[in-house]
Amino acid sequence: MRKAFGAAVAVENLDLRIESGEFVSLLGPSGCGKTTSLRMLAGLEVPTSGTIRIGDRVVNDIAPGKRDIAMVFQSYALYPHMTVAQNIEYPLKKRRIPNPERGPKVAAVAKLLHLEDYLARKPRQLSGGQQQRVALGRALVRDPAVFLLDEPLSNLDAKLRAHMRAELIELHQRIGRTMVYVTHDQLEAMTMSDRIAVLANGRLQQLDTPAMIYRRPANRFVAGFIGTPSMNLIKGHFELGRFVAGDWQLPLDGLDLDEPTSEVTLGIRPEDILIGAAGQPARVKLVEPTGHEAIIQFEIAGHDLTGRVGAEITLRAGEPVALSFRTTNLHLFAGDDGRRLNKEV
Amino acid sequence: MRRSSLAGRIAFNLLAWTLVLLVAFPLIWMILTSVKPQTELFRIPPSFWPTEITFEHYRRLLVETPFLTYMRNSIFLALGTTLLVITLATLGAHSLVRFRYPGRERLAQLVLFTYLLPSVVLIIPLYLLMVKIGISNTLWSLILAYTTFALPYALWLLRSFMAGIPEDLEAAALVDGASRMEAFIDVILPQALPGIISTALFTAILAWNEYLYALVLVNTDSARPLTTGVMTMLISAFNIEWSLLMAASVMMSLPLIVAFAFLQKYLTRGFGAGGVKG
Repeated sequence: MRKAFGAAVAVENLDLRIESGEFVSLLGPSGCGKTTSLRMLAGLEVPTSGTIRIGDRVVNDIAPGKRDIAMVFQSYALYPHMTVAQNIEYPLKKRRIPNPERGPKVAAVAKLLHLEDYLARKPRQLSGGQQQRVALGRALVRDPAVFLLDEPLSNLDAKLRAHMRAELIELHQRIGRTMVYVTHDQLEAMTMSDRIAVLANGRLQQLDTPAMIYRRPANRFVAGFIGTPSMNLIKGHFELGRFVAGDWQLPLDGLDLDEPTSEVTLGIRPEDILIGAAGQPARVKLVEPTGHEAIIQFEIAGHDLTGRVGAEITLRAGEPVALSFRTTNLHLFAGDDGRRLNKEV
Repeated sequence: MRRSSLAGRIAFNLLAWTLVLLVAFPLIWMILTSVKPQTELFRIPPSFWPTEITFEHYRRLLVETPFLTYMRNSIFLALGTTLLVITLATLGAHSLVRFRYPGRERLAQLVLFTYLLPSVVLIIPLYLLMVKIGISNTLWSLILAYTTFALPYALWLLRSFMAGIPEDLEAAALVDGASRMEAFIDVILPQALPGIISTALFTAILAWNEYLYALVLVNTDSARPLTTGVMTMLISAFNIEWSLLMAASVMMSLPLIVAFAFLQKYLTRGFGAGGVKG
């Protein structure tokens, strides 16, 4: 599937197969084409080339309303002049569902989302979280085959967001419908998804489970994008079984490479940096305690590394330490295109 | 502090009321003159308050002249023009705001450009056009002519209103199963209603007060609106029927005043809210 706006290509060669009942997130930085992809799925944008199937049906030429999908918008897009009940009822009305059947459906959805007390109100009289639930209710009431969610939580405050995240997971488990979720928040993607599609510059970078995306990033972009604090990425070269970057050398015995390349980027997750009695000499530059752990900036042979240690270890800035690395968890990426060089297990 | 602000307020009010009186004086004079007996009109020095109130002029106007025909024509013109302009402008503005097609911006500018042309230069071509399509000297020709200058203005006004309506609303309606037209009627129109009402009011006022086109394009009594009708009927080279003219003026103003009274809040919103996000 491809989508171009004039000369600007928003989505290039996106080939995505989502299983029925699956929760898939489209994750990427802003402008990566995730929302455009979702809007193409919804039928609000027309792909420049390629086909979109929902079930066995090619839906390219089918109007949004006839695709058996529901969508929740980032702005919620509640109809301001209608009450909550009318908002939820609207999709039923447009599907020519007879009046007597609509009432019970609206009531059931309102009950599910705890909106019973607000049915007569207008959207502007509701809080952000309530508006969010009405938007969900409008999608739920039709019982569609696919739910499309476009950053539905991004307008909520942090606490409410965590709460709605849990509610969405529970909802997905209960109704078992396919959900496609667009977000730029990796926490949302990691916690909610069965699988994540990481997008950048309109291209699919990796499609995998959250665990695999974290443990085996397919390229340098995914490696740097997923994880907080992000993975340490150090440019250097690979020779005689060692990684060399300036004055720093690291033997990489445990790594099994597909193709030995000389120019490489080494990736180290913060938690794979270990402090011990033995190891390479380094210095603590900065300590940021977060309560249950601390983020540490190390300096090792002229390179900065970010580490993560438990709160039980107390370190002071300037202190010398000895560092070792979990060699099996290290990542090597090609210097030219950033593809992963480690052999897949 | 309080004292000076009180004095300031008094001065401000005085100034404001002076201005209001200045602006309103012709209107007050018009109403007073329309109820003065003929004998009192040219008295020197002129009397401000009528010594005797008479509605004779109104009676003569309604019974002895074709005033009511003109009135009917004017109402027909105002309603017809407004209906046509609003129908075209809401759909057109929506298209200019929402649909992507080549030359969309150029088209919008072109529309404005036609509005910048002085209407005088369009009269002759328009007249020839009306003759060609066989509707010259009818009310329809005036509706069409008024549309040529009301539509560009309405389009631009409504365009800014429509641009303030979030795009997602329409997208949501489409996903919810509405057709393009249904989404427009169910979601866009209610949101644009204040804009539509104020645009309609502007258009109606334009049509109600128009004089030049009506003078040139129509020359039968049966198709004359109030503006030109009253002028040709009451003002001749030898005589101006002042009392009838004033009575006619009062009655011409009434529909607008009533409309303003009811729709004022939309009208002011129309002036101010064009660019405000909804």
